[in-house]
Amino acid sequence: MIDSLCDQAGGKDIAVVGLYCDFLAQQEQSTTSMLGAILKQLVSRREIPEHIREAFQKAKKEFGGRGLRLPDIVEIMKKAVAALPRVFICIDALDESTPKYRRELLESLREIVRVSVHTRLFLTGRPHIGDEILKCFCKMIRIPISPTRDDIINYLEMRLDSDTDSDVMDDELRADIMRVIPEKIAEM
Amino acid sequence: MAQMSSERSQFTGNIGSFNNNSFNNSSFSNIVSFNTERDLERHQILQWLSPLEPQQRHHGVRTNRLDGIGSWILETNEFREWSGAEDGSVEPVLFCEGNPGVGKTYLR
Repeated sequence: MIDSLCDQAGGKDIAVVGLYCDFLAQQEQSTTSMLGAILKQLVSRREIPEHIREAFQKAKKEFGGRGLRLPDIVEIMKKAVAALPRVFICIDALDESTPKYRRELLESLREIVRVSVHTRLFLTGRPHIGDEILKCFCKMIRIPISPTRDDIINYLEMRLDSDTDSDVMDDELRADIMRVIPEKIAEM
Repeated sequence: MAQMSSERSQFTGNIGSFNNNSFNNSSFSNIVSFNTERDLERHQILQWLSPLEPQQRHHGVRTNRLDGIGSWILETNEFREWSGAEDGSVEPVLFCEGNPGVGKTYLR
């Protein structure tokens, strides 16, 4: 999705950034580090905006060098996003973040979107996360995802073509696989 | 692109001490040389913003993705309206929901 949005953006000045939530990385994926990762991508292809340099230099002077706190990063992000013509933020597998971080993340994004209406959020997750998103954003567009028949057939063909155990495969078995698996998935 | 991400991971390793919010410059003594003071500061700032490197995961997803899978979503009216709106007239949030394994991560 990130790549498709990038293609669509083409030469236009549109920023597309992404983040994957990971159940195994819950500890390091705090709200601050997740927002920071988005911000980092927003600025990494350009000159670092002056307000971010200033914030960094200020933090550096404090004892031991101060890390970013959530309210700081939300303020910085608001400015950074407002300075760009259009921003797409993609976050995959929201359900894999902890409930506390997820709520903070959604609330922070809501604040950012409120001041920059040209920001679009592309979120994925299990259906039950939808209620949590709705608590922050009163409305949203929902698209249920399930693989299409074509997707399944393409995938099966790719897997069969790359099968290294070709001795046991024959046309009949292949035809059976191509018929039965899509049928079974359609019944699910 | 591959080269870029390997450079980036190198920096991550070398300025790992920044994850602990340490700004001690001596930790840079064994680092690959930066061209300018400004480049050095740039890397320090990016690291300060977040230790996470989502581009690396993205590289893995891109490599494993099968072309065309899930591209139907780009043709839906919902997606077109959402991605085309520039003025806040359409909801900012597009939520793709599905149970584990249906391919949400690999949507084209």
